[in-house]
Amino acid sequence: MPANQQTALLYGGAAAVRLLLFTAFPSLPNLLAGRVEVSTPVTSFKRLQEGLFLYTHNVSPYDGGVYHQAPLLLPLFSLLPNPSSHPFATNVVFTLVDLLSAYVLSQIAESGQSTVTRLFKSSRKDLRWSSLAVAAGFLFNPFTITTCIARSTSALTNLFILAAIAKACQGASLTFLLSLSFASYLTMHPLLLFPPLLILLYDALAQRSKSAPSPLAFTAFHILGLAVVIGALLSASAALTGSWDFLAATYGVRLLLPDLTPNVGLWWYFFTEMFDAFREFFLGVFWLHVASYMPGLTIRLRKQPLFVAATLTGIFAIFTPYPSIADAALYLSLVPLFRHLFPLMRYTFLALATILYATFLGPAFYHLWIYAGSGNANFFYAITLVWSLGLSIIVGDSLYAALRDELDVERPELRGKEVKRI
Amino acid sequence: MALISSLLALRRDARILKLPPYLSALLIIVGVAWLLVLPLNEYSRNTYVSENALLPGQVHTYFTGSEHNVFRAYRQEVAALPDLSIEERNNKLADLFRESDLKVAKQKYTYQVADTNISNENVYAVLQGPRADATEAIVLIAAWKNMADEVNYSGVALVLALARYFKRWSLWSKDIIFLIPGDSTSGPQAWVDAYHDGHDPRTIESLAIKSGALQGAVAVDYPAGPWGHRYDKLHIVYDGVNGQLPNLDLFNTAVSIASGQMGIGCTLQRMWKHSDTYEERLQTMLRGMLAQGLGHATGPHSSFIPYHVDAITLVTVGDGWHDEMSLGRTVESLFRSLNNLLEHLHQSFFFYLLLQANRFVSIGTYLPSAMLIAANFSIMAIALWVQSGRPAPPPNPTATKLVKKPLKKLKFDGRHYVEVPDEPKNEKEPSDSDKKEDPTENTTDTTPPVTAVSNNGSTALVPTASLQVTERALLLPLLFTLSTHFLGLLPLYAFNLTPAAELRPIFIVTANILTLLPLLTAWLLRFSFAPTPQQTTLIQSFSLLLLGMFLSALATLNFSLSFMVGVLCAPLSFVRERKGMVASGVWYAVLVLLNPVMVCQVACWVAGVGVEEVLLKASEGWAVWGLWTQVVVWGVWFPAWFAGSVVVALGFFPE
Amino acid sequence: MLSFLPVLLLNAFLACVCASSDYHERLLLRPLPQSTLLASFNFRSNESSTAIEQQNFRYFPRSFAQILEHAHTKELHLRFSVGRWDAESWGQRPWYGAREGGTGVELWAWIEAQNEEEAFSRWLTLVNSLSGLFCASLNFIDATKTVRPVMSFDPEGDHTNSSNLHLLHGNLPHEVVCTENLTPFLKLLPCKGKAGISSLLDGHKLFDASFQTMAVDVRPVCDSNDGGCSLQMEQSVDMVLDIARSKRPRDNPIPRALPIGEIECDTSKPYDAEDTCYPLDKKVEPAWKLTELFGRPLKGACPLTEEMGDEGESLCINTPPEREIQVNTTGQYSEARTALDTLRCYKLPVGADFDLVLPEQKMTTGLVRAQPQLFAARSVNGHGQERGSVQAVIRNPSKDAVEFVYLESLPWFMKPYLHTLRAHVDSLTENPVKETYYRPAVDRQRGTHLELRMIIPAASTLILTYDFEKAILRYTEYPPDANRGFDAPPAVIRILSPYLSTDKKGIYLRTTPLLLPLPTPDFSMPYNVIILTSTVMALGFGNIFNLLVRRFVGMDEVSALGAGGIKGILAAKLGRLKALLGKA
Repeated sequence: MPANQQTALLYGGAAAVRLLLFTAFPSLPNLLAGRVEVSTPVTSFKRLQEGLFLYTHNVSPYDGGVYHQAPLLLPLFSLLPNPSSHPFATNVVFTLVDLLSAYVLSQIAESGQSTVTRLFKSSRKDLRWSSLAVAAGFLFNPFTITTCIARSTSALTNLFILAAIAKACQGASLTFLLSLSFASYLTMHPLLLFPPLLILLYDALAQRSKSAPSPLAFTAFHILGLAVVIGALLSASAALTGSWDFLAATYGVRLLLPDLTPNVGLWWYFFTEMFDAFREFFLGVFWLHVASYMPGLTIRLRKQPLFVAATLTGIFAIFTPYPSIADAALYLSLVPLFRHLFPLMRYTFLALATILYATFLGPAFYHLWIYAGSGNANFFYAITLVWSLGLSIIVGDSLYAALRDELDVERPELRGKEVKRI
Repeated sequence: MALISSLLALRRDARILKLPPYLSALLIIVGVAWLLVLPLNEYSRNTYVSENALLPGQVHTYFTGSEHNVFRAYRQEVAALPDLSIEERNNKLADLFRESDLKVAKQKYTYQVADTNISNENVYAVLQGPRADATEAIVLIAAWKNMADEVNYSGVALVLALARYFKRWSLWSKDIIFLIPGDSTSGPQAWVDAYHDGHDPRTIESLAIKSGALQGAVAVDYPAGPWGHRYDKLHIVYDGVNGQLPNLDLFNTAVSIASGQMGIGCTLQRMWKHSDTYEERLQTMLRGMLAQGLGHATGPHSSFIPYHVDAITLVTVGDGWHDEMSLGRTVESLFRSLNNLLEHLHQSFFFYLLLQANRFVSIGTYLPSAMLIAANFSIMAIALWVQSGRPAPPPNPTATKLVKKPLKKLKFDGRHYVEVPDEPKNEKEPSDSDKKEDPTENTTDTTPPVTAVSNNGSTALVPTASLQVTERALLLPLLFTLSTHFLGLLPLYAFNLTPAAELRPIFIVTANILTLLPLLTAWLLRFSFAPTPQQTTLIQSFSLLLLGMFLSALATLNFSLSFMVGVLCAPLSFVRERKGMVASGVWYAVLVLLNPVMVCQVACWVAGVGVEEVLLKASEGWAVWGLWTQVVVWGVWFPAWFAGSVVVALGFFPE
Repeated sequence: MLSFLPVLLLNAFLACVCASSDYHERLLLRPLPQSTLLASFNFRSNESSTAIEQQNFRYFPRSFAQILEHAHTKELHLRFSVGRWDAESWGQRPWYGAREGGTGVELWAWIEAQNEEEAFSRWLTLVNSLSGLFCASLNFIDATKTVRPVMSFDPEGDHTNSSNLHLLHGNLPHEVVCTENLTPFLKLLPCKGKAGISSLLDGHKLFDASFQTMAVDVRPVCDSNDGGCSLQMEQSVDMVLDIARSKRPRDNPIPRALPIGEIECDTSKPYDAEDTCYPLDKKVEPAWKLTELFGRPLKGACPLTEEMGDEGESLCINTPPEREIQVNTTGQYSEARTALDTLRCYKLPVGADFDLVLPEQKMTTGLVRAQPQLFAARSVNGHGQERGSVQAVIRNPSKDAVEFVYLESLPWFMKPYLHTLRAHVDSLTENPVKETYYRPAVDRQRGTHLELRMIIPAASTLILTYDFEKAILRYTEYPPDANRGFDAPPAVIRILSPYLSTDKKGIYLRTTPLLLPLPTPDFSMPYNVIILTSTVMALGFGNIFNLLVRRFVGMDEVSALGAGGIKGILAAKLGRLKALLGKA
């Protein structure tokens, strides 16, 4: 079967599956949109609808405790017909978003930056999956499908993050800046992806044009560009909503966690049970903890910036205040790019089994806590711990594999031998 | 991490692979044995009331004297009703309620079960607590007909008399709802659904009057006719739909009031006489587990429990000297206790196995038995996964020609499964293994090559083959496992949505199909896809992994069901693709006997109930109570069984 | 069969506005069906504003006046309520519901202030001092429980001379009203419950009533012709007594079963026997007297009341003329019959006990009870502690369309989704909601404030539903009885048209409060949670940074670097030990 036919089949199939689910089970989107694992206070579609309603009725959606999402989403979605009465348009939009993300992801795969970068050439570079397979891995990942059906706005964030990575791989400065600033404008923390992606971009450019631009000027220019674009977005939002209140209601909420609705992350129960005196302190510590991974990884794995970016998305999926399975879906769909590392990973089965267990037990325990009333919050909390542990095992294991891969290049004589860290 | 890595380093060791079968067998044995020791005093506890507000039996009861005469009159009134139409009957009951100045409403409902209509009417009255603000309510139920389909004369009369009596008190801090459903299972379900607006307004009427959040419900079942009948014991029924149980405090309160204050003996799970020996405790527990595992409604209270409304039914049994008034006083005292509640019942246990009226086992003690059984499947899955990473056993020269073939096929698979989206892949890549000397290269010398493995210091000579890890071909196993799970939907649909008349035929057809289908599938599999030994191993690994996962998740929701399915699936972790007809035949016979339909058939025969009856109940459960036992049977048990028996059946068709 | 006489509505007649400094009190008794009795007390005292400026208080309680002055409160309405008014069987509410509050405590006031902040700070001083005065936890009315209604309330008094007033409204649905609130209430009266009708108010009976509400209303009243203004304080108590229950002696309140001899059996039943007795409902008005019902005698008139005119008649009973009433007193009293003799008013003797005795009587005529314009019921749909939906069913039995305002003030942790708000009338298609005022809640800062102006056509039912989500709180924010749930205050419904009442009080009805079970964390394990979460984070962090900072070497090189692992360590230790021994 020729490649383009396969592509058409793949994307067509993915779109068909989504639209079928949308139409065959009309109540499914609202059901999933209500699941805490899928949609968080900062991504929930129901809250977006509420924000839209207030926005269209000239009530400031940020003068309230419900809507915590970016202002520019409001005019965007107000163009669509009312989702509660005519959901089709919205469904199509979200399906398209997924297809786009998959396309961008396949671009990343084609760029080959995962195995061969400017400074590093993996010894297993010929062991990789076709871009089509990677895209399929994203499109048919049940987590992705669930996110799409729940119409959670984190699908958009994922699209922009993937686009930023892809553009960095292709060395397209402008589009890279645009997409990354959109991502960070929607959900703040993608800003941490800037340094590794900047390196990636630099490498890509240097690879293409044999004369590498001067690092300093390059960095300065891009930092400036990012600042300009984000500034433009923010001021546009301010102009739209007529005030700067949205800053507190969107980024403020992400920073200070006033809404303790349960999710798959580690923060909510911790700050439910935290003593008031220490709340601010621990908020600071947690954010510092999230941020601390970026420099370490970027420096140590300077030769493989794409891998750093992918690992960071994994970190986000575990340690940010409002993670959902959408973030996990993003990470798990980036991992197949590093097919050449799988032989070196040691706990694959363990980690995947853990995640599968958590996927089944999570809803069961949530039901016991909230509906049956026979379990208490600790049940669900325990599962969020397991989930985070499973993801962090994958992150750590892939990191080990990457380092080991580098080692094989540096010291070929150690290939296939037992090694240990000192 | 260091620990895990050293553990995982162990898996290099070939000997470790011999262990899992024994280990999982051990787990199963321990799991079952665990259950058997629970009735011993060391593992069970005496019940106690942990919610201080309840104060069971601390109040005087005044439901005596002339109330008895009134009760007899009401019983006469009720005795005149059965031959009236539902409409007239409920009008009369409504008038009786109205005479005690209560607000009365009625609710019609219709359920479609296996192309027959269950249609009846509930009548209920609300006593608004003088000091209450309509935020909380407790329910007193007397179904017009009890589970045995007898008219609940005295029960209904008692509710009427108590309604008249309760109205005089001014101490009620919650509203009291007196509910007389048309029957024992669907009536309460329709009412409680409508109360929480979870009903389908086309077939079930919405409620005209509502009150606050329901805090508890007590049902009385006392089918003594107009001339009364003195009973011996109270049989307390507590199982909810889908094996959910009410808070243990409610049960304890009922027991301590009945036995402590009123001197009425309490019994449970139809253990009419219980001398508290080990056998009887065990029997009680097993009966409780059976009821919980099947998850059917056991009384008017069952439908309330899924809504987090703790509820029990008091059934009068035996011939003794207790009369209706003592039952009335028990209910009065019970309601005084519930009336004291400041919070929704939450202190005590929701997961427990009762051994007798005042002895129980809590979840911490019994859960491990089900978890061990679930764990055995997971361990087996992991073992099979690791094993699938090994090439075929070291060949003897005659077989070497054969050995090449699967490996070639492997390479082929290796190329074609590149399409597979999902992650878990291999430990070593071909290029890696190629560099090592390959057992298939040296077709001449007979002794397989060996390598020295040094595992922290100790060095062992192990055949190289057992050290290698080959590619895994995952597409076929994954697709197979997924499709078997979807296959389960067919019988689920068939059994729940076919007319009652055709249930029996469908049952027989399914029984036959289930016996033959694995053979057919195996034949197709062999001659279309020609699965390698590795792939069959993987098929089994995946299905066992899912089984273990489902069962451990289920164990937290419905312990008994998980335990039963686990025990019935136990052989699946030991079946393998055998060479030779006899071995395969034996294993296949075992599995055929253990398929869901056969088990159901045998269980019905042992319990002495008709299969149609069970099937009808099941589809009623599906349509009315939202029962998901079927889903477990066809979505968890059946796929695992199917995968296992296909693997066995492959033995009939050697390559 | 009873034939019904018309009865004119007494509320207008009972409330008259007099600007001079004076004091009036009146008790209206009205038998209701199901052998209950409505007793509505009304005490009204005026004080001219000039007198107040001179700190000269005759009838108006000084403590109260000073609080009002201190908090710059121009008009105030305070309610303490328990139980429900059963409109289906008892008909129209007393005072058209204008003197009634939602369950618990309800307070709204017009405060004079330059801006909202000042108004709110004065509101806080007001609620704090009132909570001291009435022994109620009014001080718990904070920003999250305060709303600023737009359409639901109008000032009753004349505020011509006062500018920029701010209306604030607070609600405590879970507050339990009891005798400790009654005593300060009585203390505000000039006769302090020692004489006059207030001497009937006894905590035990009052709080044993099926429905009971205490109201304090303060408003400035200006005389149109001479322009003299005065501050009027109106206190009223409305209670519905269950006659059978109230007649029980206080020393023996238990409703024991009567001896069989005292029950009248329905002998017409075929099964009637000495051991079987169908209780006969003899449709007669029960016998009662004031001293029985209220548990204490009526100690004559309060000497401070005005003597002249019908204002002096401080005890009225509203029954059909045929109902026979014996007056039992030693002092001078006078009886006046008005309104087709359906209303008998008595001028009480001073200093002598007064009692009304009504024998058991079979009635041939009854009184027409005015039907309320609307019936309202509100309930929570769905189950589980995560989300739900509120459903308010408002029924209009009358023959003409009713326009009303529906006010919801919800706690912040109950988050309504306004886009799911649906108002549906079975009989018409267009949206009955004419005007919406919505102020969304902000976490931990303010509650939701929703006001809807709606029109409901004649003889039809309006169903209003909206979804809401429940927040999970910090474990320090839960009350001790966390698993009971939280109360959401009653909705207030004000009827705009057709308008029956003659004064500026307005027509109101209130729904019952709602109980919200919130998801609760485990209160016992903050430490465990902190430890476990930190452990997981440490695992991830440690693992990753462990990889980042170390470097790899081959196993074979490790031995060169000194054997790792326990063996190595042991060997090293052993060596050191040997060395030591060697030294020794």
